[in-house]
Amino acid sequence: MLKGYLAIVLHAHLPFVRHPEFDDFLEEDWLFEAITETYIPLIEMLDGLERDKVDYKLTISLSPTLMAMLMDEHLQTKYLKHLDNLIELSEKEIDRTKWEPQFNRLAHMYNDMFKRARYVFADQYKRNIVLAFKHFQETGNLEVITCCATHGYLPLMEVERQASVRAQVKVAADFYQKIFGKKPNGIWLPECGYNPGDDEIVKKEGIKYFLTDTHGILFGTPRPRFGVFSPYMCRSGVAAFGRDTETSKAVWSAVEGYPGDFNYRDFYRDIGFDLDYDYIRPYINSDGVRINTGIKYYKITGNTNTKYPYDPDVAKSRAADQAGNFMFNREKQVEYLGGQMADRLPVIVAPYDAELFGHWWYEGPQWLDFLIRKTCYDQKTLALTTPGQYLKKYKNYQVLQPAFSSWGWKGYSEVWLEGSNDWVYRHLHKMVERMVEVANTNRNAKGLLARALNQMARELLLAQSSDWAFIMKTGSHVPYAVERFRGHAENFDELYNDVKNGTLEEEYIKKLEDKNNIFQDIDFSVYCT
Amino acid sequence: MKKETMGSEAKPLRIRERKAYRFPPGYGDNKIVILVRDPWWMFSYWEIRKEKQEEIVRKIETSGDSVSRSVLRVYDVTDISFNGKNAHSYFDIELKGLASNWYINVNTPDRAFVVEIGIVSKKGIFYPLARSNMVRMPRFGMSDQLDAEWMMPEEEYWKMFGLSGGFGIGKGSLEVREMFKKRLEEQITSGGISSGASFYRKPSERKFWLVVNCELIVYGATEPDAKVTVQGKPIKLRQDGTFTLRFALPDGKQVIPVEATSNDGIDHRCITPIVTRKTE
Repeated sequence: MLKGYLAIVLHAHLPFVRHPEFDDFLEEDWLFEAITETYIPLIEMLDGLERDKVDYKLTISLSPTLMAMLMDEHLQTKYLKHLDNLIELSEKEIDRTKWEPQFNRLAHMYNDMFKRARYVFADQYKRNIVLAFKHFQETGNLEVITCCATHGYLPLMEVERQASVRAQVKVAADFYQKIFGKKPNGIWLPECGYNPGDDEIVKKEGIKYFLTDTHGILFGTPRPRFGVFSPYMCRSGVAAFGRDTETSKAVWSAVEGYPGDFNYRDFYRDIGFDLDYDYIRPYINSDGVRINTGIKYYKITGNTNTKYPYDPDVAKSRAADQAGNFMFNREKQVEYLGGQMADRLPVIVAPYDAELFGHWWYEGPQWLDFLIRKTCYDQKTLALTTPGQYLKKYKNYQVLQPAFSSWGWKGYSEVWLEGSNDWVYRHLHKMVERMVEVANTNRNAKGLLARALNQMARELLLAQSSDWAFIMKTGSHVPYAVERFRGHAENFDELYNDVKNGTLEEEYIKKLEDKNNIFQDIDFSVYCT
Repeated sequence: MKKETMGSEAKPLRIRERKAYRFPPGYGDNKIVILVRDPWWMFSYWEIRKEKQEEIVRKIETSGDSVSRSVLRVYDVTDISFNGKNAHSYFDIELKGLASNWYINVNTPDRAFVVEIGIVSKKGIFYPLARSNMVRMPRFGMSDQLDAEWMMPEEEYWKMFGLSGGFGIGKGSLEVREMFKKRLEEQITSGGISSGASFYRKPSERKFWLVVNCELIVYGATEPDAKVTVQGKPIKLRQDGTFTLRFALPDGKQVIPVEATSNDGIDHRCITPIVTRKTE
């Protein structure tokens, strides 16, 4: 008998990194690795589910910056070059490891994986894999939701909380509509950063729900009746879903989490670092710095530097076991909750970063595939759902004002507001103030002036990406993050002065439009107040 | 460093020369802003115009008083419309040096605050230079407000709270709050790829280490149009008839017959290196 629902939500996001001025650019590899290791394995999984007619339910949020990069011709071309390089390297590896069968089979495994990726990317979806997600949404099984335009962390974005929060949401919703032909049902608030009142802005775009961390609901007002096992209605009429903790820990926790299984592939041992420099040189960064190639031959093994070769068959059976374990625990969870939920069935909301699956946790897509299939066929207690579908099940939900919260470390804003990155906010807030000022004074702008204002909006949005502050805190790629922030502030400042002084230069605007070409249909009037 | 692409992207544009941008030390504003960091702390940044500062100093001095210190005055303005005088309470933080921002520990979740930056005179009078926006600190803990439509016994709420927080059935509000604080300090998000943050623990052995591997290069040359096999597998020759093969070399003996046959199939040569690796 059905006792409850499980809503798995994957959040896919990367910051907008596009450098046509360089043949090869280190930070562009973030996208390329994620395509090969996460997005394409997920697409293959969804293809398989469709082929086998599995009636699954899954939710994925695709950030607008990620979609913009996936649809960008320049990056598509670069990705294929990157992938062809990997295929070549994996072929060399097949020859090189001929006398070591335990590695040779892995070289073949990667070679197959890269060639399949090439097929999915280039042949099946003609380089635009956003179309894959669109297709799966149209089958009724996948719910694709949006995220803020450039993944701006809303709680710190502006003091007045009008113009730039609205712009982050509206630009994202419009971009989604252009791609998917309808309004997004839900939104992933970047880092689950929720500031009371922002739901009003979400509501204006026709969005029906957002996700918060556990305490966003638990500390809400009035006291929540169903814990995080039911959505709640904000007074604005937008629903809020809270993250379940048990399912988070099962996957995320470094101590108890599934991805730490000793049989799983070790992320850190990569041939980009392990092999002879002259041999690997053509496949690492063009400046000669060793980087991860994605070819990794060892399993986690244990808490040791001595690693043993990875065995994909053993790993796969561990993924199946753990999927079974996860499902069993959810069955118990909903059975237990059954007595607490009055007239309704509980929903367990389990959100994860999509890039965990495949990139960090190589077996993640297999685990998810097993979990979905087992849940659909091996039991009847638990059913998969999406937040959008669950919302249709009941007529009324408790009204609640969720609490200020995020899913960042310590649950609030400290990750994005600490010694390494707090200096950005006075500049960001000033940019918002200036954007609103010139948008208001040039409401009817046409031609070049409108182009300048639209580009200012793009530069502001890009400067607002939460990724820059995050990277400044975590400590690797810091100069890049600082330079990106500075660069967008510079472009914004130049345009602001040109607009104010009437010194617009078409060539300069054109240069910026070509470089930071995200949101080509943006309309600066989104900042008018 | 990266090489610039010299392709079509780099065509010269006639653009006015622009100075490299640096963030200005100030924008000429006279203001103070506060932001919520978490239920206990907020962050404040400010910029005070020189004229404003001088004006206030003159005012203090003409009143026969003198400047004592610069402070942030933090007002609890929960549920009131603040007019500068009606706060529930306030406390001062003395500013030292050239600070232009400050983390303020208010330590009281779910209360609203406004901050003024100003000067305190020797006589103890406070002269504000700027007043901030108002923020409300997040609540930390379950609301006391109950919803008539969705009522249940007290212990049932705590049960749902415990189940949601992943620590089973909570017993009392204080204990559960502490447990929840711990839960928030666990890292249960990754931060994505761009962070480069190591997500799963790395080995915690001592740092010193050594790795030694062997590879074998087998290379040679023959007529460019000859057919060559190595260990029975056909290989490709370079245009000049040379070839290079590279193998990871495990312990043990490798017999490596290299056989070449001329294009017309008449001539045949075979050379067989035998290599043994032994690691001690």
